[in-house]
Amino acid sequence: MTTLAAKPVSPLFLSRLLRGILPLLIVLIVGFFAVAAPGFLSLGNLSSLLLNNFVLLALVAIGMTWAVAAGGIDLSVGTAVDFAALAFVVLLNGGHGLAIAVPGALLAGALVGGFNAGLIAGLGITPFLATLGTLFIGTSVQQLLSEGGQPIYIAQSVLPGLTAVSWLGLPLPLWLVLGVALAYGVILALGRLGREILAVGTQVQLARYSGLSIRSISLKVFVASALACAVAGIVLSSTVNAYVPMSGNGFLINAIGAVFMGTTLSRSGRANIPGTLLGVLFINVIANGLLLIGWNFYWQQVATGALILLVLAFSFASRRLQTL
Amino acid sequence: MPASEILAQPLFRRLGLLLLRRGSLLGFVAILAVFAVSAPNFLSPGNIANVFAQSAILGILAFGLTCVVIGGGSNVVSGGLDLSLAANLGLCAAVYSSLNNAGLQGWESIGLTLLCGLAVGALNGITVVVLRLPPLLATLASMNLIAGLELVLTHNSVLPTDSALLDILANGEWLQVPVLAWVLLVVALLLGLLIQHSPYGLRLYAVGEYPEAARAAGLGVGRYVFSSYLIAGLCAATAAFCSSAYFSGSTTGSGELLLSVVAIAFLGGVFSRRLVANIPGTLLATLLLGFLINGFQLLNIASFWVNGVQGVLILLVVAMSSALRKEEGGL
Amino acid sequence: MTVPALHLQGIAKRFGPTQALDGVDLRVERGSIHGLVGENGAGKSTLIKVLAGIYRADSGTLTVDGQSFADLNPHQVEALGVHFIHQERLLPPGFTVGEALFFGHELRRGPFIRRRAQDREAARLLREYFDLEFPPGALVRELDSAQRQVLQITRALLARPKILVFDEPSVSLVKREVDQLLAIIRRLRDQGLTIVYISHYLQEIESLCDQVTVLRNGRAVAVVDPRTTSIAHIARLMVNREVGEMYTKPVVTPGEVVLELKGLGAGLAYRDINLSLRRGQVLGLTGLVGSGAKELLRSLFGLLQPEAGSVHLQGRITRLTSSRDAVRKGIALVPEERCSHGVAPQLSVLENLTLAGLSRFSRWGLLNAAAEARESDQLIAELGIKTAGRDAAVQQLSGGNQQKVALGKWLGRDCKVYLLDEPSVGIDIGAKVEIYRLIGRLAQQGAAVLVLSSDLPELIGITDRIVVMHRGTVAGEFDARQVDSDHLLACATGAREIPDPSLESEREPDYASV
Repeated sequence: MTTLAAKPVSPLFLSRLLRGILPLLIVLIVGFFAVAAPGFLSLGNLSSLLLNNFVLLALVAIGMTWAVAAGGIDLSVGTAVDFAALAFVVLLNGGHGLAIAVPGALLAGALVGGFNAGLIAGLGITPFLATLGTLFIGTSVQQLLSEGGQPIYIAQSVLPGLTAVSWLGLPLPLWLVLGVALAYGVILALGRLGREILAVGTQVQLARYSGLSIRSISLKVFVASALACAVAGIVLSSTVNAYVPMSGNGFLINAIGAVFMGTTLSRSGRANIPGTLLGVLFINVIANGLLLIGWNFYWQQVATGALILLVLAFSFASRRLQTL
Repeated sequence: MPASEILAQPLFRRLGLLLLRRGSLLGFVAILAVFAVSAPNFLSPGNIANVFAQSAILGILAFGLTCVVIGGGSNVVSGGLDLSLAANLGLCAAVYSSLNNAGLQGWESIGLTLLCGLAVGALNGITVVVLRLPPLLATLASMNLIAGLELVLTHNSVLPTDSALLDILANGEWLQVPVLAWVLLVVALLLGLLIQHSPYGLRLYAVGEYPEAARAAGLGVGRYVFSSYLIAGLCAATAAFCSSAYFSGSTTGSGELLLSVVAIAFLGGVFSRRLVANIPGTLLATLLLGFLINGFQLLNIASFWVNGVQGVLILLVVAMSSALRKEEGGL
Repeated sequence: MTVPALHLQGIAKRFGPTQALDGVDLRVERGSIHGLVGENGAGKSTLIKVLAGIYRADSGTLTVDGQSFADLNPHQVEALGVHFIHQERLLPPGFTVGEALFFGHELRRGPFIRRRAQDREAARLLREYFDLEFPPGALVRELDSAQRQVLQITRALLARPKILVFDEPSVSLVKREVDQLLAIIRRLRDQGLTIVYISHYLQEIESLCDQVTVLRNGRAVAVVDPRTTSIAHIARLMVNREVGEMYTKPVVTPGEVVLELKGLGAGLAYRDINLSLRRGQVLGLTGLVGSGAKELLRSLFGLLQPEAGSVHLQGRITRLTSSRDAVRKGIALVPEERCSHGVAPQLSVLENLTLAGLSRFSRWGLLNAAAEARESDQLIAELGIKTAGRDAAVQQLSGGNQQKVALGKWLGRDCKVYLLDEPSVGIDIGAKVEIYRLIGRLAQQGAAVLVLSSDLPELIGITDRIVVMHRGTVAGEFDARQVDSDHLLACATGAREIPDPSLESEREPDYASV
């Protein structure tokens, strides 16, 4: 291991290039599909893209962002989505109306988050394994309650119709994403809790020795993560008008990918909300675009996977060059 | 920790430590005993052989993951991990079925399938060692990619196939024990000898536990980590043969195996004195899960409980291990 | 003139704007023990890394046993018979003694490792070389630091080296273990090995080495024989100024008692501790590894729960249940492990400085960036932190400036008690002086300061009183103006007869470390 003799590319330039890669790629890809795919830029397509794909993944990824920023990860995001969806549907079918069903769903999600926090902060289990355990247990519980995966449909008389609601031309679910993103983003970037999360995520011993309560921060992070997923659960079940067991797990991988791709936006590689949203957009745009230009649905996943890998590789490689 | 320190700990912790160290094996036996008493035919040789056979797929995958975990260190976030194993299995199975159905010679399809598994392993090795992505992310991304390739081949449906190899694996017997069980045991033996008793294995442990020490000793850390991913890829291919035999072709949903494989690899550590991942421990953990599922089946308990039990087991084991390790850590 | 075992000539190495080595000569005679001393930043570790082949020198030659080389890689260096005993033990914690000894060169039969043979051979070697026995089947993590070092040395000896380089080997050892180590090294020399010994502890250098090379600012300024050169002289050569000038202690009248410990005990770590700390006072705490001093400090920060006795903060009985609790009650800690516990290297100066007092800057959950900026700038100016800006990452700062950040984050909180754990370790001399001044100012402003340090002259120079611990109890309490290092050391090692310092005449202070 000898020291490098050559002088590397100017770090400032590299840093700017790195931070610009994700937005740049999105612009390029959007441009590409706008040209190559008929109907890509049509209102119908874009709104369907945003509404159906973007919203749910974005909410889950926002929750995941906080967990990653705090130095951990949350594998049980799908569980929170599903539990919230389950509570929502059951409460609606029980005739309790939205005023009870929505808080009930949020509470169900919060419980999942609290369970995680209990394992992580209370028992000191590492987040990967703790949330893995929650995922297992959550799957089991759902299988038992739904008798092996039978969906529970919302009765016709109590359809929530949330997805049809519009305000200022934008559908309600999109407003929810904006609201949640704004709240979580502002707190993470400018809030006291955000600073504490940053400290715990980068140097946990130092945080402990500075008088921060790791337990309380963990609790807030994992409950908040689960709450964001609970909102996704409400939107999901409103969209398909049913609770489909274990459907939340599908978001996990893309959420993780989006969060880590989003770290390229930050100068120091920290997880951040705007980056996460761009990451989600990236994934959705590619999937949608490929679909429109007639690519086999299955090749989409390959392409998405390859592109995520490339972005991650670029991000880590450049960051390493930067610190030399 | 040395005995003197153990004795200085409060009673509860001492019990916990003792339980974890010696108790895991006892726990295993206890569970078997419970099933033996309550479930009909549990201890019959046919049933036991069946469990071994059914555990082959999970077990071989878990061996692969064990090697990666050993070489990368057991810190879950930055340490060795291969999340693409299950997807690799799916891809290899799909490749084998496709090649076989396309009329290739027996050895050709087998060889190319093994190559496929190795190629995925090499991809992981490159992203982790050369590009230096954290294994969690690297293998997550490759899992995505590989699962996509599998879908391209299978169009999300089953690809039935048949061959001499699959015939032997599925229906063959030797000494009244199914061939699949033998495969599990042979792979366990081979890898066990490699990892636990050869210099390669010892050095792999060194690389995972303390890379600086390995480097100072002149070991090429990158090469060992890369090789562990190759082994994992080979295991995935081997498990793919077993899976194809079991399902008479390639099947969907192999991704669901992933979490169980991860659980088993980490649970396996509890059966070793040093609480590190190891091949024999992984074998025991695989069988434990296998007997659990089998016992539930025989007792007519819904299989839905299995996931929950897995989850609780992981949490129990990990909680006690981290209490033991007494590592100052945050999230 | 016999051919030297090792001869580095004119070694130069530049890192960017810094000339780390400026034409260094190091000549080690065969079969001798050659010491290498110098402050942090003098170039010791750079020189060793050049020798080890990790760095390539810009110019100069390396001669081993008469053969000259322009540059070498680590493999070649090892092949030439030069082996290094690093500060890190470099032994995998989960390995057994036998495995740790032989990994990389395992004893095999065919493709398999002969574990039992390795264990037997390991036991034999340990007995033969060092007359030591480890518990059978012990894992590396179950051994203490000195035992691991013995294992490290044995492992190096397996390769039959000609030259052994010890890099700060006594850092985590207690006195008894240090004596053992020195005996081992002498035995190795008697068996024909050539030894290079790098250390901060001049007493060891004096008792062990035949010759000593002194590095200062990247140059070898002198080669002396420690048997004829006093330690004070060597120390002066290292820093080029009277060492005594560095310690300052303002005179402060102590106020009321802020912290009082009555009969405090925590299992085997320490027992029956009675201590009181007043406002404006700087109390020194010292003891060998295992004396309980470290554990006592941890208890005062809520990290280790005592089981007996009581802690009184400003007259009221308190239980410090966690570090968070201690901080809330006005206790501050500047920990020993600066990079992991004292600062967050990847975060900015501002983020570090404000971390312990976020509640002051937050309203409705949001942080007031302007107020944070103001306070950080103020602290940077007040403490003289040399940084590119308040947003610069702390890892870009030098050790001394990082320590100022670690201390600075408590300053806005008006803490009553400051606990400083080895505050000047790894810091260059200029920054040390500034830290000492800061400590003095803290006392002047009415805080109570407790300094835990193994640097006895430092304690004498900057504290009012010094408490020495030995094997878990307070072995002695001294007035800093009336004691010298010898007495403190004697007390710390449990010497039965501690001469009364007030009866001693003026003696030249004995600098155990610089």
